[in-house]
Amino acid sequence: MIKKEIIQRNPLLNLGYDDEYILPTGGFGAVLAYAGVGKTALLVQMALHAMMNEQPVLHVSLNDAVSKVDVWYRELFHDMAAKYDSVESNEFWEKILIYRFIMTFRVEGFSVPKLEERLTDLMQQNIFKPHTVIIDGLKFDESGRGLLLQLQELAKKYSMRIWFTVHTHRHEPPKENGLPLSFLHVADLFDVLVQLAAKGPEVYIKALKGQSPDAKQDALLLDPATMLIKDQT
Amino acid sequence: MKFDDQNIRNIGISAHIDSGKTTLSERILFYTKRIHAIHDVKGKDGVGATMDSMDLEKERGITIASAATYCEWKGYEINIIDTPGHVDFTIEVERSLRVLDGAILVLCSVGGVQSQSITVDQQMKRYKVPCIAFINKCDRSGANPFRVIAQLRTKLGHNAVAMQIPIGLETELQGVVDLVTMKAMYFDGESGEDVRIEAIPQSLLEEASAKREELIDAASIFSDELTEAILEEKEISPELLYAAVRKGTLKREITPVYMGSAYKNKAVQPLLDGVTYLLPKPSEVENIALDMNNNEEPVILNSDPEKPIIALAFKLEDGQYGQLTYIRVYQGTVEKGSTIVNVRNGKKVKVGRVVRMHADQMEDVEALCSGYIGALFGIECSSGDTFVSPGINMTMTSMFVPKPVISLAIVPKDNKSQMAMSKALNRFSKEDPTFKTHVDPETNETIIEGMGELHLDIYVERMKREYNAEVSTGNPRVAYRETITQRADFNYTHRKQTGGSGQFGRIAGWIEPISDAEFVFENKIFGGSIPTQYIAACEKGFKQSMAKGPKLEFPITGVKVLINDGASHAVDSSDMAFQAAARGAFREAYLRAKPVVHEPIMKVVVESPVEFQGPVMGLLNQRRGMIIGAQDEGVMCVIESQVPLAEMFGFSTILRSATQGKAQFTMEFAVYRQVPQSIAEKIALEAAQNKKTAA
Repeated sequence: MIKKEIIQRNPLLNLGYDDEYILPTGGFGAVLAYAGVGKTALLVQMALHAMMNEQPVLHVSLNDAVSKVDVWYRELFHDMAAKYDSVESNEFWEKILIYRFIMTFRVEGFSVPKLEERLTDLMQQNIFKPHTVIIDGLKFDESGRGLLLQLQELAKKYSMRIWFTVHTHRHEPPKENGLPLSFLHVADLFDVLVQLAAKGPEVYIKALKGQSPDAKQDALLLDPATMLIKDQT
Repeated sequence: MKFDDQNIRNIGISAHIDSGKTTLSERILFYTKRIHAIHDVKGKDGVGATMDSMDLEKERGITIASAATYCEWKGYEINIIDTPGHVDFTIEVERSLRVLDGAILVLCSVGGVQSQSITVDQQMKRYKVPCIAFINKCDRSGANPFRVIAQLRTKLGHNAVAMQIPIGLETELQGVVDLVTMKAMYFDGESGEDVRIEAIPQSLLEEASAKREELIDAASIFSDELTEAILEEKEISPELLYAAVRKGTLKREITPVYMGSAYKNKAVQPLLDGVTYLLPKPSEVENIALDMNNNEEPVILNSDPEKPIIALAFKLEDGQYGQLTYIRVYQGTVEKGSTIVNVRNGKKVKVGRVVRMHADQMEDVEALCSGYIGALFGIECSSGDTFVSPGINMTMTSMFVPKPVISLAIVPKDNKSQMAMSKALNRFSKEDPTFKTHVDPETNETIIEGMGELHLDIYVERMKREYNAEVSTGNPRVAYRETITQRADFNYTHRKQTGGSGQFGRIAGWIEPISDAEFVFENKIFGGSIPTQYIAACEKGFKQSMAKGPKLEFPITGVKVLINDGASHAVDSSDMAFQAAARGAFREAYLRAKPVVHEPIMKVVVESPVEFQGPVMGLLNQRRGMIIGAQDEGVMCVIESQVPLAEMFGFSTILRSATQGKAQFTMEFAVYRQVPQSIAEKIALEAAQNKKTAA
């Protein structure tokens, strides 16, 4: 019952993306925003959407401990499922949990060979094979293009899609295409770019790259109270 | 009684089993003149080391209960807690670290950083205990203290720096070169009590200078004065160097390393100097209590002996004169004859004898002031209780107590053993918060729970030795539960007419699953179809049914019962009749509510060197475990998972062998989750067999 009701279309499809998975296999997507606007919340919701559709998600965090990442998922799931019967939603939560794996690294300790080694550990033993990977906390101004190229190879090799959070800075005015200067050197590697922008009390989700040209913008909002995606259409 | 805490050090000696910490404690007591002869740990001379006061410890050559003692060294008063080395007794280590201000991490110069050193180090990190390291057994074949220093850096992530270099190694070990004073130290006399200081042998001069440079370099980060002295090429005084190293040690950013051989009486005295120079005095450590009158707000304690008392009972022992309570005073002064209050139960207690412990001998004192560790006599309390001055309502932050992971049924051999056993269990559960006991209402067996097989084994052994209780043990068991998954209606009439007054009661309504409570009863009867006086009996009847599932006989949880109709009889209805009707109604609805078996799922956190991450995840996966995540912590990684308790028996042995003993795990209850169908069938089969056997 709950499963049928809670699983909707990928909410980002409203921004004008065609593919149900938004990203092609081996593709890159990024959510750009200032600190505290809701990058992780948005990606966790996309991860939850994938988990509900039985698509395994590997969440790689370079900032937070496993327990903290887990809280993000729990909180957002329970907010999403708040209107359903608690026994049923708890059961559903237990069911989808097997489609998530959290890996955390220290920023300075993160490298693609290390990630691949961990992934191989999981895949060879049939423990986990990710469909989507979320990398939260990678610093784009410091990480060179080389690291992203390595990641792209990895994504293709294991047929994964990778989403990133990109922390933009208030002191850095965006260029005409809406992208910050520190991101321009790698922007071409991304298939999809989504920006979160706070306007007054609302947080708008705006497609910057990869959407169909006639797509309606500002159709999606993040509810600042729950950080859940709100459809405005 | 001295009230200045400048010269007080509360230290622990922590290490891997067999790295020689009890021998080291023994030598410390000898050199500080607390004992006048040295005994062997394994008890070859029939006396045993002084710190191992229990027979069992003497026999097994391991330390089980930490013995507290104090000694004096060059005007400093040092309180020492000797801590156990085996992983099953970590509560003792944890408790000790909770009350200590600093520690000596003892490492074997041959074995290096072993698995237990990793455990102990993590515990020290948790309680932010500054430490100095002592690389022991430098007289052994294969000794290599510098390899151990490298391991301290790579395996434990310590910024380890040598304070000494050895003069000779293995059988050639003669003494050490002190890199602070740049002098050679030799230890003469029958027990190494005479320290001879000489110039550094020519052959070691170059190595000593290089190592001193390394030490100065590491210490300079913590002292501008030292950096200045280096830049200006001034002579660096021992005081300046010690002050810088001390600063780094207190912040846990540098680990000074001493070395020697306690067994061969080499270089224990310089280690004691290190304790006094480098480890903190009590007032340098921030201790926090919780204000019970202010929503448990944390309060930083002031180590002023004149302030109201705040003391923590961290260990209990059953001595020949009654209960001995080890306390650490954090604030104020506990004086003989004064009144203190146990915060847990609000009971006022008059302090009788106040003693300082020296293994199992004691010395009467008038008072224990803030910063001190000692013991009180005749005080009824549990370990972990906080004592305060009347009018104060603060408690020390609760000690981290891991949940028991294994349970075992024990059966006394006879009546005499039964009495002795209950006396022993009462004492053990008071002494050790990780040891729990209860009586299984179904089998009437006494169940003991603890932290591992050896943990329980030792207690069974102690029951036999100390209390003459002969007991036999059963197999470990898992606590399964039953619950329902859907709503089911009932409409049940209980009717009995077998002579005399009859029994009549009808109950109608439904049962349904709930997630946030064990049992909820809701009365929705309007119009008095069941008279109000029988509603409580209905609730009681349903509650009774929850104790044992009709099919597998596990306790039932997560059920809401709602009654909305019924009938009574003016003569034949009674409390008894409605209780029976409720039981019948529950039975009727239960099987239609699709019952399932739930099992306890444990949160299992494995800390392992990174190279074993794959095998460890494999082990967890094989045990029906769900891996939540893996955290990279440099040389170590932390794997968080949820694993059914039933799959965890024997895991510690398997984990040890899969990781060369380098990984360790903690386990705590997380959630009850439905058992997969195949396992449920197996459990049902076992339950049926057990029922048959019981019958």
